[in-house]
Amino acid sequence: MVSYILKRILAAVATLLVIMAVTFFLMNAIPGNPFLSEKASAHAIELAFKKYGLDQPLIVQFKNYVFNYVRGDLGVSLKMQEGTSVADIIFNQGKFARSIKLGLAALALAVVIGIPLGCIAAYRRGSWLDGFLRVMTTVGVAVPTFVLATLLLAFLAVKLSWLPVKSGELTDFKCYIMPVISLSFYYTCYLAKLTRTSMLDAINQDYIRTARAKGVKTGVLVLKHALRNSLIPVITYLGPVIAGIITGSFVVESTFQIPGLGKYFVQSVMNRDYPIIMATTVILSALVIIMNLVVDIAYKLVDPRISLTAKEG
Amino acid sequence: MKVNFAKLSPFQVDPEKIEALNLTAADFEAATNEEKESVVYRHKSVSYWRDAARRFRSNTVSMVALFVFILCLLFAFLGPKLIPYNYSDQYRSSQKLSSMQYSEDEQKVVALSGHCDAFFATVLQPGSLTAIKKGDYFIDYGGKTYAFTLKKAIEKAVLALDADAEAPLFVVKMSDINEDGSFDKSTPVELSEAPAEGASPIRLSTGVFPHVFGTDSSGRDLMARTMFGAQVSIIIGIVAAIIVLIIGSIYGAISGLAGGAVDFVMMRVVELIYSIPEVLIVLLLQVVLTDPLRTWFDAHKSGIGAILGDLGPGIVSIFITFALLYWVTMARIVRGQVLQLKKQEFVTAAVALGASGTRIIRRHLLPNAVGALVITTCLQIPSAIFLESFLSFLGLGVSAPMASLGSLCSDALATIELFPDRLIYPAVILTIIVLSLNLIGDGLRDALDPRLKK
Repeated sequence: MVSYILKRILAAVATLLVIMAVTFFLMNAIPGNPFLSEKASAHAIELAFKKYGLDQPLIVQFKNYVFNYVRGDLGVSLKMQEGTSVADIIFNQGKFARSIKLGLAALALAVVIGIPLGCIAAYRRGSWLDGFLRVMTTVGVAVPTFVLATLLLAFLAVKLSWLPVKSGELTDFKCYIMPVISLSFYYTCYLAKLTRTSMLDAINQDYIRTARAKGVKTGVLVLKHALRNSLIPVITYLGPVIAGIITGSFVVESTFQIPGLGKYFVQSVMNRDYPIIMATTVILSALVIIMNLVVDIAYKLVDPRISLTAKEG
Repeated sequence: MKVNFAKLSPFQVDPEKIEALNLTAADFEAATNEEKESVVYRHKSVSYWRDAARRFRSNTVSMVALFVFILCLLFAFLGPKLIPYNYSDQYRSSQKLSSMQYSEDEQKVVALSGHCDAFFATVLQPGSLTAIKKGDYFIDYGGKTYAFTLKKAIEKAVLALDADAEAPLFVVKMSDINEDGSFDKSTPVELSEAPAEGASPIRLSTGVFPHVFGTDSSGRDLMARTMFGAQVSIIIGIVAAIIVLIIGSIYGAISGLAGGAVDFVMMRVVELIYSIPEVLIVLLLQVVLTDPLRTWFDAHKSGIGAILGDLGPGIVSIFITFALLYWVTMARIVRGQVLQLKKQEFVTAAVALGASGTRIIRRHLLPNAVGALVITTCLQIPSAIFLESFLSFLGLGVSAPMASLGSLCSDALATIELFPDRLIYPAVILTIIVLSLNLIGDGLRDALDPRLKK
């Protein structure tokens, strides 16, 4: 177990390094530079380049990034909040916290609603409820996040004015409703579909029939015997869910005007603020990678049949 | 064909009566192929594809989805040919209209059309030049040719034709048209005998086609744009899926067939790409690629450069993104299939019989893996459409006057309070396309995956 985890952590670090390298060379390939503006003279740009070390060879700059990141130094913003430390911008201005709160709320909603819905649908197979859920989940996975977000915005906020148009800094419970629903809807539907399928597989197994014959109560039967075994494919899917929720946050944050990490990343790309591009990419990637790692380990814990040392086949 | 069972199974006959069979020497001749086939009662063995097609056809949901998708294809590819508007033409007098709404000018022209046979309205033409310049013109209408020379440009007016009137061709100023379509004064146009040399034709219309989905703030017809956008989205989906299919299956097949160290290295690369949160990289890639691609298109205006240039840098960079990052799922599936098939007895048998590598791939691996390939490719299309619309929504995909369903949704967001339907049309069509493709993919999975055979 320990060696497995160590190996995975090593792989995660390697992945992160590759992501850093790719991001670094891509962002330097973006035409233009952060200091370009109508007012800036060539001399001023040169000075700024010197000040922030952008005149050094790319490979040296990259090496500096890696060493600074290892020391926990994320650098300073070049343009968007010039001179402010990137760590300050991301962590102390609430951007990171807002994105995380939004993402966790969406993840929680998807799990809390999606999995029980899938169970009910499987248990009541063929009923009107199952039919309704099947239609809903099928349509649900075909609606892009931004369509749902804008439709919610158009009806609940603009037409009916029940909810605020601008969620802003998420100060109020009401601000969470639309962003979280639009972020989690797709995954709620997907998880419900997935749970239903694997639950149906489990329900048809012999041990369920045996348990039923022994007189185990329905609730216990579903929760203890069927659900536990049908959760395995669901858990494997949680990794992509987390990555997807972070992706979705780009759209949701710009639709509902939430100053979070996703929106800030898009802005930093537009502004070519290199240290911020790098920091947001690394943080978001690290989040996805860590969550994937946690999911993988949880997966092995849930199902003792899966050997930890065997290579994937 | 009637079968002579006595000939085929003489032992079932009562041995007492064997004399009565009247066996002749001819009865002991080998049966012909035709006769053999006639014994196989029931039907002929069904090929994999025919069996799959039958299963797909019996799946109502998938058939409905297929039908709906064909409707979407017709809407996207045939629709633009049926309506008189173009996705990029700007109609200055018809800006910001809701669905089926006529602008003031259009209302006047519609009313006027009741008082004449056909007309040409300068205000309803696309572009900023809404006047007919002076010069020689001719009109073909109702089997007659009307030739005339304009000594003055016509601006903000309607050139109307009333075949029975004394002066069949006349010009009515927009300001002279009343609400009911009658007009206070008109200027007859002097007709000449035959069209002058170099005269340009004018095409008359008999009515004003409504803006079914309304128009945007630049006066572009939204139905034409939605049709074009659907076309762009579908093309992106299909091309991206083909790119993924080619790269993914070649990579996966090599990895699976080679095995050993090659497989190990190749799979670590796949894992690495797989664990990169691709959207971050995709966003960066879009920004990086757009400008160099535009310069490259400007420099290469022939051959492949021209074709790609028509698509625009936004779409081409989406293809590049797919080629770089999205083939990993396909590669994993193909590798899995290859590994599974490689161990099957029939492959071992083929190897033992001395079949070459290409023959094994062509005859044994490919036909068995093709189902998985078709399903994955089909399900890749909606995911590509999703990604494109997501990028366009963030302002990174296609840019105006090009349109995709995502960019139309994104454009509509600015005016959502006044014109919610501008969002709804492209959003609903996007959803329908993705939904039908998903359902077709599900149906294909049921039809092509023999493990689910009942």
